[in-house]
Amino acid sequence: MENDLHLGQHISKRFNEELEEVRNLVMKMGGLVEQQVRSGLKALLAADQELAKKIVEEDDAVNALEIQIDETCTQILARRQPAASDLRLMVSIIKTITDLERIGDEAVKLGKNAAKLSDDGKSARQFVELRHLGEHVNETLNKALTAYARLDAETAFEIIKNDKVIDEEFDNISRLLITKMMEDPREIKNALRISWCARALERIGDHTKNICEYILYLVKGEDVRHNTVEEIRNKIAD
Amino acid sequence: MSDLSITEALTSDDIVIEGTVGTTTAEDAKMSMRNVNVFYGDKQAIKNVSLDLARNQVTALIGPSGCGKSTFLRCLNRMNDTIPICRVEGELKLEEQDIYAKKLDPVLLRARVGMVFQKPNPFPKSIYDNVAYGPRIHGLAANRAELDEIVVSSLQKAGLFGEVKDRLDAPGTGLSGGQQQRLCIARTIAVSPEVILMDEPASALDPIATAVIEELIDELKEKYTIAIVTHSMQQAARVSQATAYFHMGHLVEMGKTEQIFTNPTHELTENYITGRFG
Amino acid sequence: MSDSTQKVINSLKKRHRKEKVFRAAGATAIGFGFLLVFLLITDIITKATPAFKQNWIAIEVDFQPDLLGIDGLDLTRLPKGDYRTVLRSAIFEMMPEVSGRRDKRSLFGLISSSAEFEIRNHLVANPADLGKKVTVWVKVDDDVDSYLKDDVVVGEPGIRISEKQATWIKKWVDSELIESRWNSEFFSLGDSREPESAGVKGALTGTFYTMLVTLVLSFPLGVAAALYLEEFAPKNRWTDFIEVNINNLAAVPSIVFGLLGLAVIINIFGLPRSTPLVGGIVLTLMTLPTIIIASRASIKAVPPSIREAAMGLGASRMQVAFSHVLPLAMPGIITGTIIGMAQALGETAPLLMIGMVAFIVDVPGGITDPATVMPVQIYLWADSPERAFVAKTSAAILVLLGFLLIMNSFAAFMRKKFEKRW
Repeated sequence: MENDLHLGQHISKRFNEELEEVRNLVMKMGGLVEQQVRSGLKALLAADQELAKKIVEEDDAVNALEIQIDETCTQILARRQPAASDLRLMVSIIKTITDLERIGDEAVKLGKNAAKLSDDGKSARQFVELRHLGEHVNETLNKALTAYARLDAETAFEIIKNDKVIDEEFDNISRLLITKMMEDPREIKNALRISWCARALERIGDHTKNICEYILYLVKGEDVRHNTVEEIRNKIAD
Repeated sequence: MSDLSITEALTSDDIVIEGTVGTTTAEDAKMSMRNVNVFYGDKQAIKNVSLDLARNQVTALIGPSGCGKSTFLRCLNRMNDTIPICRVEGELKLEEQDIYAKKLDPVLLRARVGMVFQKPNPFPKSIYDNVAYGPRIHGLAANRAELDEIVVSSLQKAGLFGEVKDRLDAPGTGLSGGQQQRLCIARTIAVSPEVILMDEPASALDPIATAVIEELIDELKEKYTIAIVTHSMQQAARVSQATAYFHMGHLVEMGKTEQIFTNPTHELTENYITGRFG
Repeated sequence: MSDSTQKVINSLKKRHRKEKVFRAAGATAIGFGFLLVFLLITDIITKATPAFKQNWIAIEVDFQPDLLGIDGLDLTRLPKGDYRTVLRSAIFEMMPEVSGRRDKRSLFGLISSSAEFEIRNHLVANPADLGKKVTVWVKVDDDVDSYLKDDVVVGEPGIRISEKQATWIKKWVDSELIESRWNSEFFSLGDSREPESAGVKGALTGTFYTMLVTLVLSFPLGVAAALYLEEFAPKNRWTDFIEVNINNLAAVPSIVFGLLGLAVIINIFGLPRSTPLVGGIVLTLMTLPTIIIASRASIKAVPPSIREAAMGLGASRMQVAFSHVLPLAMPGIITGTIIGMAQALGETAPLLMIGMVAFIVDVPGGITDPATVMPVQIYLWADSPERAFVAKTSAAILVLLGFLLIMNSFAAFMRKKFEKRW
């Protein structure tokens, strides 16, 4: 699958600039969110309270960007009445930033839980599985954002296909935590915190998958939400 | 950038047009055209175009200036007959009737396939006479009462009756642009055509009048099969169910309007509707 | 203020000056034109005025049956009497001091040669006056008329009145026997060798019939030709050829049409010469190109959108042409027709060739009666030696202009009627 979209080359140069601008804003927001997730993970694993607080502050910047991008998209819709790929780009951006914002929220949750764990003098360091899940999610998010920048439908499809791996890892962690709690009821409080974190990471994975679905919609013009992997493969086959 | 230079920009591109992509046929076709070629002298204006107009649907023909969409539209009721150097080849059918059959009188064809033009062109006569002209020449009304009924119902269908009912004797040319165009539509409807061809019917109108015409087109499709040529892509998107994109005499792509405007298949279509040059 | 603004300001002065000069030139041209027309009309009116008056003289006529040489009882013989003798004796009786054959002849010459018919007409109208002595008004001779109207003295060149005659006239004037009256006969009589009896009715009627024939032939033919060429004829070498020829035809000198009329219409088809019918046909040939060219231009100017609208409704070409194109083109067609007819109205040369220059006294009663037309009449009178014809010529020109005015007003009225653009 090769990239067959040309987002530039409009007769109106201004329109090209506007589209470029809004895409840059999305990339910037994606970068911020990615940073939040990475920090959240780090704070969780290293019990770094300072870092955890920073995440919460960064969320304001992400929220502000979401509003700015929404506004820019509204302006483009009103003034340019985009069609075809331009229209799909607008729709996918509007949807993508919602998911990005949610990812940001989940990262904040990670941070808050990390802070609480740290208050109790604990860290999630001993949970290899959690670290593993976090790294996987982080990597997926990074790939998704790169795919978004490159309009790379192939990578997006790969990510959607691999979402179930994250789900399986989450299930593993849940099972593990339940065992832990049954073994030692004093650990329930921390285990629940860890569980929240795993849950947040799993949600981030879901939002990342959504973003990849929007990439497919943008590039291929097909709405692949709520489809099985097989159905998606058929839909986007050229 | 002017239309011409866009066409040039597109021409200089090395995109090859091979046949038509998308769906050109309709299950319930009112008119069906196959392998239509139109020549103006040595110049070929339409190159091997095949498409169907689905019954009770609005089909929009879009494309850059000089792409042949108006030429194609005018073939459908033989308005091109008046141009001596114009030659039409191919199979053009209105239901089962070959519309270029030698024995078919174009007068009869035009009674079945009406036309609305770009510039509102009411006759310099009264509103009543404008609408009554068609029924009169075709002898559709046996007496004055019947003619009155045709005039009133046509004006009603065109959504104009309420505005003009007190001044049917007033000149048609005294109406506003949008009203004039609706008068022209009423005049066309009065002949009870089966197909209505519209050649950029709203291009000379302001947005409000345009919206009224578009609403009217939407209502008219319940009874008539409509083909509309338009320069406004938004208009095509708003009023039509099927859209055909013409480029340099070729029918590049045809399909459902919702698909053409969100996810066109051909690069030329995409470039045109998003306002790009290739 | 930017540099370019300053440049514009500098150039503005020059432009305004140019415009002023052009306006002044235009106004001068129009003023000059008006002046010329004014001079022309004034000159014609001044010269024509005398022609609308005619001096009459009162004569005591003694209608003695024996002098007339008719039986007093047989009224049917009244018109055949010897009125000349009666008139002579009446005049000599009025002027007993005139004696000698020569003087008597020159005295008799002061009375119009139509006088004997006037007294005959009087008696025929009033048979009761037979045997009585009554006063009858008769016209004076044109020389006397001119002498009385123009402020001239005997001996001037062109004055054909002797000293003696002048004293007699003076006596008549002093004893109030002479009276100047409105010359209604100018409009009710045909042509005559005698200026005092010459009228324009013959020529006017001839003009009317000729124009009628021209209009009836050239208007439908011209419009039909234009309509066919514009709306129906295929555009090919033939129609181009025809178009070029029509344009050329409009530039052919009119006398050539006269020659054609003489050679073809009179000699080959044998239509009667000197008649409005032949004149009308010849003028039709001349007018047709003008009407065709104007009509074609006017038909071309009908917006194509109207044709498309009608055709889109399923109107046949015939219906498009006659119910849409023709009504819209009509004002222009009428204008072209006016121009053509006005040309024809003033035309002399081709009519000379077909014999409409003949001296015709009778007022024509139809298009096949010999007739002449106003411009030819003017030409004939302008060529006559009698002084009184100078005024008659100008008067005839006025009548011709009046005819033209009426014709154009009618056309303008028709044009307005068709021009009712919604």
